[in-house]
Amino acid sequence: MNALMLYQMVAVLLLSTGMFGLIWRRSLVGMLICVELILNGAGLSVVAAAQLTPANAMLGQLATLFIMGLAAAEATLVLAIIRVVFNRFKTSESEAVSELKG
Amino acid sequence: MTAVLAKIVFGSYVLVIAAGALTAAISKSLVRALLGLILTLFGVAGLYLLMAAPLVALMQILIYVGAVSILIFFAIMLVRSGPQEDGARPRTVRQVVLSLLALLAPVVILGSAILQGRARGGPLPAEVPVGELGAGLLGPYVLSFELISLVLFVAMAGAVLIAFEKRGKR
Repeated sequence: MNALMLYQMVAVLLLSTGMFGLIWRRSLVGMLICVELILNGAGLSVVAAAQLTPANAMLGQLATLFIMGLAAAEATLVLAIIRVVFNRFKTSESEAVSELKG
Repeated sequence: MTAVLAKIVFGSYVLVIAAGALTAAISKSLVRALLGLILTLFGVAGLYLLMAAPLVALMQILIYVGAVSILIFFAIMLVRSGPQEDGARPRTVRQVVLSLLALLAPVVILGSAILQGRARGGPLPAEVPVGELGAGLLGPYVLSFELISLVLFVAMAGAVLIAFEKRGKR
């Protein structure tokens, strides 16, 4: 059990908890929170693979910065989508949004 | 001495991350789930510090705790959910089984891959100077840097377009 394995295990913990919550949650906002958990696990895994191995450390850190930027963009879009869904359906539960051409 | 101390600090960060992630996943109140997410973000920032990546840790706190969690809080306020929002009806058996499957699948598959992969750690992590990161961002990776700013711009503009639709137009 070296350091790299431990950090990757933490990343797997974040990924599995996020995937669990993604199905467990009913509201769109809760699902957004779980997606952020998954993205955090991805960033942690990338930085661990870059810093704790002889690989190029700069590349890994830059990749994690890009992941953070993508997460911010995704959160903005999901916020707008949640607002539109709430305006049309008067709820933010994922099961309610199941009709087309409503 | 330092190795023992690092192990203790690592363990406490992992505890913080696990508690926060669990709260974020199963808490009934969305505000509490958001607080759990923030706790997890701080724990991951601590792990970045332990891996000698202070700039990434700082960016984690700035971008995630400063920006993304505020956005999620706006989303919570926009939908005006009641206190019983996420636990009003009992969950179906199918949902419980599927969520447990989603919990176990990454642990079993990726966990066994990690354990069998015998990933060898290198020497102690060395800190990359911030200047080198900046030079990389403006040198060989300038295209991805510009692309990420374009993606952010498009996302913000699209969010404004979606959210401010005219009433009654549909």
